[in-house]
Amino acid sequence: MKPILRLDKVCKRFGGVVAADDVTFSVLPGEVHGLIGPNGAGKSTLMNLISGIYTPDSGKIFLDEQDISDVPSHMRARMGIGRTFQTPRFLQRSSIEDNLLLGTDLANQFGYLKSYFGKKGSDFEKELKELMKFVDFTFDWEDDISALAYGQRKQLEIVRSMLSHPKVMLVDEPAAGLNNKEIDDVMALLNYAAKERGIGILLIEHSMDMIMNICEDIVVLSFGKVIGTGCPAEVSSNEAVIEAYLGRDVNA
Amino acid sequence: MEKRMKIKPSTLLIFLAAAIFVIVIPNTNEGYSMMIVNLGLIYAIATYGVSVMLGMGGQLSFATVSFMGVGAYITANLCSGRNGINMNTALALVIALLASALLAFGAGLILFRLKGTYFTFATIGLVQVSWSFYLSYKPLFGGPDGISNISTLNLFGFSPKNYNDWFYILAAFVLVIAFLVERVRRSQLGRSLAAIRDNEIAAQTLGINVYMTKVVAFTIAGVLAAVAGSLYAMHSQFVSSDMFTYERATTYIIMAMLGGVNNTAGIFVGSVLVTMLPEWLRFMQQYLQLIYGIGVILLMVFMPMGLAGLASGFAKSLKRKLYSKKKVTAGKEGPKQ
Amino acid sequence: MNINTIVSLSVNGIAMGMIYALMAMGLILLIRAIGVMNFAQGDLLMFGAFVTCALTVDLKLPLWIMIPLALISFAVIGVIFMFTVYWPLKDATYPTATVISTMGAAMALKEIATLIWGSLPRSMPPLMKNPKTGKAAVLNLFGIKLQWQFVLTIIVGAVLIWLVFVLFEKLYAGRMMQAAAQDKYAAELLGIPTILTTAATYIIVVIMVSTGGYMIAPIFMVSNTLGSLQLRAFAGVVIGGLGNIKGAIIGSLIIGLVESFSTIQFSQYKDAVVFIVLIAMLLVRPQGLFGEKVADKA
Ligand SMILES: Nc1ncnc2c1ncn2[C@@H]1O[C@H](COP(=O)(O)OP(=O)(O)OP(=O)(O)O)[C@@H](O)[C@H]1O
Ligand SMILES: [Mg+2]
Repeated sequence: MKPILRLDKVCKRFGGVVAADDVTFSVLPGEVHGLIGPNGAGKSTLMNLISGIYTPDSGKIFLDEQDISDVPSHMRARMGIGRTFQTPRFLQRSSIEDNLLLGTDLANQFGYLKSYFGKKGSDFEKELKELMKFVDFTFDWEDDISALAYGQRKQLEIVRSMLSHPKVMLVDEPAAGLNNKEIDDVMALLNYAAKERGIGILLIEHSMDMIMNICEDIVVLSFGKVIGTGCPAEVSSNEAVIEAYLGRDVNA
Repeated sequence: MEKRMKIKPSTLLIFLAAAIFVIVIPNTNEGYSMMIVNLGLIYAIATYGVSVMLGMGGQLSFATVSFMGVGAYITANLCSGRNGINMNTALALVIALLASALLAFGAGLILFRLKGTYFTFATIGLVQVSWSFYLSYKPLFGGPDGISNISTLNLFGFSPKNYNDWFYILAAFVLVIAFLVERVRRSQLGRSLAAIRDNEIAAQTLGINVYMTKVVAFTIAGVLAAVAGSLYAMHSQFVSSDMFTYERATTYIIMAMLGGVNNTAGIFVGSVLVTMLPEWLRFMQQYLQLIYGIGVILLMVFMPMGLAGLASGFAKSLKRKLYSKKKVTAGKEGPKQ
Repeated sequence: MNINTIVSLSVNGIAMGMIYALMAMGLILLIRAIGVMNFAQGDLLMFGAFVTCALTVDLKLPLWIMIPLALISFAVIGVIFMFTVYWPLKDATYPTATVISTMGAAMALKEIATLIWGSLPRSMPPLMKNPKTGKAAVLNLFGIKLQWQFVLTIIVGAVLIWLVFVLFEKLYAGRMMQAAAQDKYAAELLGIPTILTTAATYIIVVIMVSTGGYMIAPIFMVSNTLGSLQLRAFAGVVIGGLGNIKGAIIGSLIIGLVESFSTIQFSQYKDAVVFIVLIAMLLVRPQGLFGEKVADKA
């Protein structure tokens, strides 16, 4: 199968810090690909490079075998790179509905004029209902996003990204700050996204439970370098990986 | 999942209030006091531009007065018989609109290479530049004396004879523009602007072209300001540079903030109130500016979302008392947090 | 244009540039401390001019009493300004609210000045007078005639800027104040009370700006329109690169010089020239002369 997302020798440094050092790996459509590593390993930076918020110092990024290294961030989103953030990023002063509709807007790609004159696109309410089956809370359309709890916002951010029909979804630490029930819901949602919708998912997570449970493939990063790849079983018996994690425990 | 109600009680209430306004005001006012109300309506049109920029997009721009000047002086030059041109006023309005759209688009492309406070400062620069020219360049702007003898509006044969006639025309303009602006808020453009206001990086990753979206908002604000300027020129039949100073620019921002910067009805209320206030408080003229200044500080401390924010907070708590919440129920039932 | 004109235009320009620099530096100190623009900066300058004018002209105080009294009033104004305009808004969820509130303060200051001192411009005697004529003293430098007031403005401005610069960049107290400004939470943990550091910043800023008002009072008339000078200071800040003190000072001096020299050719369009230079500059270097491009942290 052709990879949907491919990184080729991507490098990025911030001053003296090497946040990505010759990173190469690829994500297949319909797979959940884990991205793990100790704090500060460069995981979030990699997502920022893929979604175009940072530009790599060298190396190339391919979406569907098309080089997108020079494509601006918003165009990458339109080409099908969806993402969530380590701390959820919503419009603080807008209604929940408007927040979610941004996902649908991205799926429709009408442009402002068509949307202004009332062109109807994909069925927002039906689709939302479909996705909301996986999460376990209710809300009022017109409430501000601040009416939701942190964990609910994190889940809703994944929902919003899925409303935009991405080809690849970058999910940054979805389980952080969630309770066990919510973590199960998120796993179900991600599984659905990969298996039923065929989205390639790149998942950053510190919860090994979650990673071992739903990832087919894993990349391990430490100080910006890939120090191990493979299926969960391979990675958890990899010497270098164990060392990196032990080292982190010693420091902590 | 329930469908939302199409027409909310608050919308009905606003329309009712608007209807009362349109019926009562012209029957209780004439002459000078009517003129003041009319000015409030004209300013409201420009303030809708502030609402699009600041309320929706979070971009603080002072350029309102620059583009009001564009609209006013184009109209003044085309409809006052100076330079031997005396064009149909409606046509002049359209020309002012198109020209300001082009100018605002160009200026937006340049100014939005800057972000945040930088952008705001650059718009102040623009205001100073435009005002200097409005004040000093005689051939186009009449210099310190301004331009007088501007023809009054002639809309398909109907021409207002007095300020009361003008009131209906301006009310119609405001209504249409308020409707168009409200639609912006509810369309993709409004949502994109809100995304830019709250988080530019998240906006990018949602496929929003931050730069162009800001430029579009700036263009809309420029056009609205120019329409207001053009109407102002025909209504007052006179324009001069002191309408387009930096101090005036702050007034539009304050009008928007008083009413509620992101609320269509609020913008109207804010504009009319700020215009009328000096008239009502005439008996303490001496302290007027002081009260005004302190009032602005108090406003920001106690209700930064303006009167509309106050009203909607009140409505929300009322609603909570009256109905149980309409909720989006997910497929799964379970304990609610 | 001969060397005479060039030198005297430069001195005028640098003197005005110093005034803008005092305001600009104050703006940056405030931006660092509270994170927002102060649109009342010019009206604080105007107020300082009125206060010193009242002390000098109305009360006829000698310089050695006038100066400490003026400094105390400036400090008091600074504290009042902070507690009315900024403190109630420090936790505002809507950042623009804090900015708008300074606009309200600008109006109020203007009006308070008018209520106290009337709306007619007042004149203020220059610091150095010619003992014979009683007019402003002129410095004769190798045949080039310069107004002493301009020269003094440059000296006073430079000294004040240098003092504040040393305080904030070199001394422990100043560094602590900046640290407190940058990370309020950590500062509170370390036991640095933000209320004190913020108040100190306001006091310093108002003293700088008001002193600027005192220095230009003899050059212009003292009137409530002096506030509009702040727009030039804004331009200086932007040209220098937002947040950079050195940049703001150099930017302000550039603005002063551009303004001064533009009077030769287009004195009517002085303002336009200044701001066209500003906009042109921003197009070439959007981050300003000394600003660095910082990536948003995602
Ligand atoms: N914009 C930036 N400027 C400077 N340094 C940065 C920037 N972004 C990230 N870094 C640095 O790059 C390194 C990698 O950071 P990154 O956030 O990618 O780590 P991470 O693997 O996501 O860690 P965590 O598990 O804590 O989220 C860190 O040392 C960080 O300080
Ligand atoms: Mg991270």
